[in-house]
Amino acid sequence: MMKGLGAPEGYGIGRVMLISEKNLSYTPREIADVDAELERFRTAVKKFTEETLAQAQTVRETVGEKEAKILEGHISIIDDDFMRGEIENLISAHQCAESAVEQMCQMFIDMFMASGDELTMQRAADVRDVRDSMLAILLGVNEVKISDAPAGTVLVVRELTPSMTAGIKRDNIVGIITETGSQTSHSAILARAMEIPAVLSVPNALAQLSTGEQVIVDGFTGDVVTAPAQEVIDEYTSKRDTYLREKRELELYRGKPTVSASGEHYELCCNIGSPKDASKAMEKDGEGVGLFRTEFLFMDRSSLPTEDEQFDAYKTAAMVLKGKPLIIRTLDIGGDKEIPYLGLEKEENPFMGFRAIRYCLKNRDMFKSQIKAILRASAFGDVRIMFPLITAVEELREGRALVEEAKSDLRASGIEFNEDIPVGVMTETSASGVIADLLAKEADFFSIGTNDLTGYTMACDRGNSNVGYLYSPFQPSVLRLIKSIIENGVKAGIPVGMCGEAAANPMMIPLLMSFGLTEFSVSAVSVLKVRKNIAKWTKAEADEVAAKVMAMSTEKEITDYLKTVV
Amino acid sequence: MISKKVTLVNAQGFHMRPADDFVKAVKKYSCKVTMTHNGKPVNLMNKMFIIASAIKCGQEVELTCDGPDEEAAMAELAGMIEAGFGE
Repeated sequence: MMKGLGAPEGYGIGRVMLISEKNLSYTPREIADVDAELERFRTAVKKFTEETLAQAQTVRETVGEKEAKILEGHISIIDDDFMRGEIENLISAHQCAESAVEQMCQMFIDMFMASGDELTMQRAADVRDVRDSMLAILLGVNEVKISDAPAGTVLVVRELTPSMTAGIKRDNIVGIITETGSQTSHSAILARAMEIPAVLSVPNALAQLSTGEQVIVDGFTGDVVTAPAQEVIDEYTSKRDTYLREKRELELYRGKPTVSASGEHYELCCNIGSPKDASKAMEKDGEGVGLFRTEFLFMDRSSLPTEDEQFDAYKTAAMVLKGKPLIIRTLDIGGDKEIPYLGLEKEENPFMGFRAIRYCLKNRDMFKSQIKAILRASAFGDVRIMFPLITAVEELREGRALVEEAKSDLRASGIEFNEDIPVGVMTETSASGVIADLLAKEADFFSIGTNDLTGYTMACDRGNSNVGYLYSPFQPSVLRLIKSIIENGVKAGIPVGMCGEAAANPMMIPLLMSFGLTEFSVSAVSVLKVRKNIAKWTKAEADEVAAKVMAMSTEKEITDYLKTVV
Repeated sequence: MISKKVTLVNAQGFHMRPADDFVKAVKKYSCKVTMTHNGKPVNLMNKMFIIASAIKCGQEVELTCDGPDEEAAMAELAGMIEAGFGE
């Protein structure tokens, strides 16, 4: 077995076809007849343009518009006044066309690689693709015909290039193995666009595999199973069929509103930990962000992030969301997380200690700079502020007072922000659940954090194997708190969301629908599954299940019953 | 001479197509156009130099136009960036 990075998900079972590197070596020579060499170069550009246009057309029909545009962009790299001018200058100085093309391409490849920016570095792959195609034309090296691959082929390549995709017939290629590329490389993006399961970055794949041998590609684990036994093939075949069937069913929910079988609408958002995740949330059809954790800005560094740094991150996320809601949770930090420069003392009992809103309210300068950064970002989208770990009304009041202070600072400096930015509470402590009616009068929204709510309510650490059995959001105590938080929010007319893991649990969904939850916030990969689960229930059915559950006395009774209804 | 600070709003930043369109737009005008990113000048002769500058979504560039048609050039160039290159 060989190992790499899986992307995209899925299983491919087939026979190997090796696509070896073309031999593009040449000996640079001094050119005597400059005009003839210029003509040779121009003819090559013309041929490259024609071939690439034809490839782009194929890709447009078989893969998609975006991928076709990538290929058309390749033409503009070489067929460009500046680039042609520079290459022709080199040829006029008696360099051969091959080395002139290579020199100019290499210059940009080096510049892109030196940027240190991941996206820019990946664009070097486009320039390499152009360079190789141009050299192949100049040297008269024929392309390997990927389009001749028979049905059930697993392609093995060093790198999957945009020009290669033109030859891929989706019905024939069941898997791809590459030697290079991260999960955000061209190889990964192209494989994903074609929905062909792939394993990337398998060292020496070309040398280790032979054309015609049977192989299994597992795009979930990144495994490449070589010489599989019949029972392994059978196992993967059934896994693949189930996966494809479920995927087809889920895809029906893409782009659809989140609505119950009886017509009630819900918001279905994502939990994210960085601006990059925001794009993923959109890609996975999230309707907004219900929880943006801001800790990433503070971790792995030696000093506090500046207001501007934070603003950049929040604004980027807001812009990616294009007006969809973005709930930013203020710093949730404490004695259990190592951030040396904050100078937090080791505590006996960090989860009951100096953390989250408690720490922030005592470090007002730091807190105010985060609030100002969030406020500034609110000029660029539907941004909302959420305070973590609220246990008493005063904490919310103090936090809101600081928001008002930050607003008047910004007003004085003439900086734009949303005057009516909603300020909400993350209800994740038993205290906030018990005083939900009081908090609801002063908060603009609630979001239930079930992970901490369960831990605090059951007074148990889920990681402790002696007491972990108590940790369940289906404990009657936890369910009663969830119900009370939602009902008190609804009574006060404010939206109530859930951003804990439980929001994606099929057994929890009917209960939340019945209690009156308005927003589910889940990890991006769960969006379609949750939408499908919500669509299964009518409000009346959910009410019936909830009534039964709330009359039960034990967690086991409840989960046993729920397993029978989902 | 006029100058203006603009923020990139499209998720992918200055990639191949926007950079190509931008360079073509610059060439339409007779005024001298310069752009700086993080205080460093960006070569506007060719899109590849712009891409190599790795200007990302959320970052700011400063455009300067100097010449008879500076107003029109600024309106179009700043407009392109502010509109996220239509993405």
